[in-house]
Amino acid sequence: MFKENEELKILVIEDNYGDFVLIQEYLTDEYSKFKIKRAENFENARKLLEDNRDYSAILLDLSLPDVDRPEKLVKEVLGLANSSAVIVLTGYADKDFGMKTLSWGVSDYLLKDEITSSILTKSIQYSRERKRVKRELEESEKKYRNLFDASPLPMWVLDRNSLEFLNVNNAAMELYGYSRQEFLKLNIRELWAEGETLGEETWKKNKNDFFSLQLKHRTKKGKILYVDIETNPITFDGRDARVTLASDITGKVKAEKDLYHSQQRFKALVQDGSDVISIIDENFRYSYISPSVKNILDVNPKQMEGRNVFEFIHPDDEIRIKKYLKFVGKKKTVQLPSYRYKDGKGKWRWLETIISDLRDDPAIDGLVANSRDITQFIYQEKELRESLERYDTVAKATSDLIVDYNIESDELKFNEAISEIFGYSAENTEFNGSWWDSKIHPDDFGRIKAQEREMVERKRKLMHSEYRLACADGSYKYVLDRSYLLTDNSGNPKRIIGSIQDITDRYNYIKAIEDSNERLREIAWTQSHVVRAPLARIMGLIDLLKNHRENIENVTEILDNILISSRELDKVIRKIANKTEK
Amino acid sequence: MNLKILIIDDDEVVVFIQKKLLAKNEISNNPMVFKSVSPALDFIASEDGNKEFLILLDINMPGMNGWDFLEELSKKPDKDRFHVIMVTSSVEQRDKEKASKYSMVREFLEKPITNECCKKMKDIPEISHFFVKV
Repeated sequence: MFKENEELKILVIEDNYGDFVLIQEYLTDEYSKFKIKRAENFENARKLLEDNRDYSAILLDLSLPDVDRPEKLVKEVLGLANSSAVIVLTGYADKDFGMKTLSWGVSDYLLKDEITSSILTKSIQYSRERKRVKRELEESEKKYRNLFDASPLPMWVLDRNSLEFLNVNNAAMELYGYSRQEFLKLNIRELWAEGETLGEETWKKNKNDFFSLQLKHRTKKGKILYVDIETNPITFDGRDARVTLASDITGKVKAEKDLYHSQQRFKALVQDGSDVISIIDENFRYSYISPSVKNILDVNPKQMEGRNVFEFIHPDDEIRIKKYLKFVGKKKTVQLPSYRYKDGKGKWRWLETIISDLRDDPAIDGLVANSRDITQFIYQEKELRESLERYDTVAKATSDLIVDYNIESDELKFNEAISEIFGYSAENTEFNGSWWDSKIHPDDFGRIKAQEREMVERKRKLMHSEYRLACADGSYKYVLDRSYLLTDNSGNPKRIIGSIQDITDRYNYIKAIEDSNERLREIAWTQSHVVRAPLARIMGLIDLLKNHRENIENVTEILDNILISSRELDKVIRKIANKTEK
Repeated sequence: MNLKILIIDDDEVVVFIQKKLLAKNEISNNPMVFKSVSPALDFIASEDGNKEFLILLDINMPGMNGWDFLEELSKKPDKDRFHVIMVTSSVEQRDKEKASKYSMVREFLEKPITNECCKKMKDIPEISHFFVKV
């Protein structure tokens, strides 16, 4: 006897009542408790099955009055049977047909003539067991299919030989942008980015093995992805296939590249930059010095580590630098004044350094010094200073007013002559172009401005002009202005340098001479008339005497007149002589 | 004769010499003499508008001088009636140039005037017809 946990429910589809009773008998022999129902034709069976499907087994006789073709009958019943095991009962003559039904899904077939209690019970038992195993297998397959479909990682199944897609999961569709239908028409090769050859090579070598690799893939929209591929050979629907798991590592690859670039940049800055970067401990010993020191100061960085910075700094600059170093710790950064530093060849170089206190940073644990070689700059500055000093000396030595006018900024600068000659305070902050214009005499202004315009617009290098310039007290001085135009490399006017000479004395002197000349001319004219008047009279009178003597009544009168005129002439000449003596 | 002869000069000796020579050369036996400019201008103004004048004019005179006289004459609309002989004690080029700007000035002579000068006066085209011998 079988001990059953669940109650056995049997449906018997049998038109022959005797056979049904027989079956019921057999079952009663083996089972203490069971339910049994009978359908005498297919139509009843269908009704019963549609009402209730949880039969443990269905016993089906193949010869029913309302179905003429047994094949159709078997298939209809199987369709309605759901999870119930179907056992076919057949006569000896239909043995072959009974066997055939197995391939359609029937669990077992029994020859009516051979049925006994134990055969029937066993058949029911085996059929049920087989049905259960099959169901479990189906469920397990379904579970795995769910796992594949629901996996957050892109997965697909390829034909192992052709590399065509056989299946693909949602994550893959989402990542690559193809629908399932599109995927199933594709070959994996169409996912490989242009120039990607690793996929083909690796696949050929490991056709039937597990392998993993990193590939560049392309999505439907052409976006490039970096993916880690792991792929295993499997059998899928009876075909040689491989299941592949792809992880998108594009973000990771990009981050790695960024990090690499950042490292390269840092390396370039530290190694090949124009700054020497060093880390100094609290006792001013080098714990690190950047490789750029080799190029800049001609020293091997390894030789410097551990040595005190003051071994390298010029003794004359040491005290000055130490003064500044006292501020380290009080301020985040300290800028040191330029100092001399011994390079690898023992020559002194000028450096400029900024110290940052990074003792709190565990990665540094010290002071970071950024140093720059400014030797060239210092020398240039020195030359410039000397040149400026020379200029200053010249400007001081000359009595001329030196004007330096910056055209762009409208800035006007003078030497001391602005106060010494013209009386303006040298500290005046109003000096600019329009200030200067206001000091030019209004009568000269138009002429001078026109010259100035010509100078700037036509880029005339030199300009000489004379005009009147107002002093602080409102009086005017005559000046000779010699201006020189400075241009930049492209020839654009930048500055005007003018040397302005006070020529008031000279001008006044020349004017005095000219005035005196004019007076002299007038005197000469007057004198010539004064002198010649009496002389002309004398000549006229003598002419009369000589040519018209016969018509002249009074010769004495004429002679008297000659005498008077002669005396007058004498007087005039004496006067002139006296004047010139003075 | 419709030509009036005027001498304008403040120097009596000069006037004496000029009167003698004008008479000798049959230019005038009785010229009008003025010692200064103003009376001469008054006289001209009082005379008949048809009359023409030959004027011997000195430049340097007290009060109005010879230039002032020329200035006044040139204001007159019928200034062609005045034929001026400038007579100066000393010839300067700039005076001569200045004189040439006045259309009435016919000659520029240096003192003392001579017979030659008088002959030149009579040959001046604008007045020569007054001296044609009958």
